[in-house]
Amino acid sequence: MNRILVIDDDEIIQNVLEKVLTKEGHHVEIAKNGKEGLQKLDLMPYEIVITDLMMPYANGFEIISKLKQHPNTEKASIIVISSITQEDSVMDSFKLGVDEYIRKPMMVGELLLRVNKLLANRSKYA
Amino acid sequence: MPDILPVNETGEGFTIPYFDQWMAMPVIIRVAVVFIGISTIFILYIQFRIWFTRYKGYLLNKRVEKVVPVIDALIAEEIFMKSETGQKGAPHINFDAFRIPLFANHKNKQILIDRLINYRRSFSGSIGNHFKQLYLELGLDKLSTKKMNRRSWNMKVRGIRELTGMDVSISDVNILPLTNSKRHELRTEARNAYIKLSKNEPFKFFDISSEPLLDWDQIELFKTITTTENIAIPNFARWVTYSNNKSIISFCLKLIVHYNQQDAAPAVIKLLETKDHILRAEAINCLGKLKYEPAEAQLRHIYSNQPLNCQLEILKAIGRMSTGESAQFLRQEFMYSTDFDIRKNAAMSFVRNASPEYIDELMEASNDENKLILKHSMNPLIKY
Repeated sequence: MNRILVIDDDEIIQNVLEKVLTKEGHHVEIAKNGKEGLQKLDLMPYEIVITDLMMPYANGFEIISKLKQHPNTEKASIIVISSITQEDSVMDSFKLGVDEYIRKPMMVGELLLRVNKLLANRSKYA
Repeated sequence: MPDILPVNETGEGFTIPYFDQWMAMPVIIRVAVVFIGISTIFILYIQFRIWFTRYKGYLLNKRVEKVVPVIDALIAEEIFMKSETGQKGAPHINFDAFRIPLFANHKNKQILIDRLINYRRSFSGSIGNHFKQLYLELGLDKLSTKKMNRRSWNMKVRGIRELTGMDVSISDVNILPLTNSKRHELRTEARNAYIKLSKNEPFKFFDISSEPLLDWDQIELFKTITTTENIAIPNFARWVTYSNNKSIISFCLKLIVHYNQQDAAPAVIKLLETKDHILRAEAINCLGKLKYEPAEAQLRHIYSNQPLNCQLEILKAIGRMSTGESAQFLRQEFMYSTDFDIRKNAAMSFVRNASPEYIDELMEASNDENKLILKHSMNPLIKY
């Protein structure tokens, strides 16, 4: 069972991703903001982290930097879901090591495909 | 006989208790007492309003806490679980599952509308369309349309936001008059909605708009126009020529630049004859940003009769056109003008129009201050 951490302050995104990803057979942990997300990093290693960029307490860029340094997530794949469409933000995210960038409003089917692709790649090169 | 109007000692007429004492008080004291009385009543009124509003908010929160989990569970079950199971073809969504007694209540229906709009803001594709379908199937669009016909402006705004959020078209009869409303908030919302929802003629309201487009409105509209997909972009020269609303003309000039509508340049040139120097400066700015070279000679010709703001725009426009034809004119302005801004802008444009040899020659002939201005203008890091 793959472990996925979802960090997003939007209650709707939290509920939907939890249900949809759990149905796909993944173990999902939800964090309601950046601070809680960083606390959850100590719980267990994660294969994938899905995070928003604009959140209270710690923004997405800080979180991505910390994910890359934390032993439980240094090798995790990172997916950003954000309504920020500025080229700079997208480029900065990729420079920090993000694997996928999905713009809101998003297609759930697309997110699932990207999650599955990243997991497949991980098992292929593991 | 009540105490308020007792018979006086002699039995003649009526007296008010303490009236004599009240009248015996100095005027300043009487004024102070009246003022304190009115203030106390006002503070009590405000305090009751605050308590009442808070209580209403508390009741609404309790209702939301009760209704939202039901909505989320239904949406998860009927839309997300059925749509994303990987099955081919459009899934069958059971909209009847949402026709439950809970949503017969008007307030609960409103919570459902708000929740559906939030969902649609977060999800696109087929799922996003399901939310719109659900909104229409449950007849919630009729409630939003009804709000548009209410007298209060904030209810109208709410109705427009709901229909726009769900991408449901609004008839011109309903929305066009609102684009020219005296109420600024309503006007802005209606204009944004009209551009988003009207696929054929999204700028029709420019024709009837007599209220000004404020700077902030222009930013909002610009964002809506440039981010709405599949929008039919007209030739904005139409409004530059015929509109009586100066703010609409000004906004159209910015759109002409954004969409690089070279066809509109002749209409913009006609605007150089307007008596309004602010609008004229904007037209010159537009021609410069379009790099419309045929206008360069005319700009030089009218230069000496223009106020300072127009002269500065002419210098900038010539710099942007960079044809090299105005180098001598720019040199003259740089050398002999007494206004610093004119000299600075002339120098900026000169270095973009003149050959390197000509620039060196001018540098040699310049005094220390002019040399400094020229060097500054030649710095590639200085944005022009």
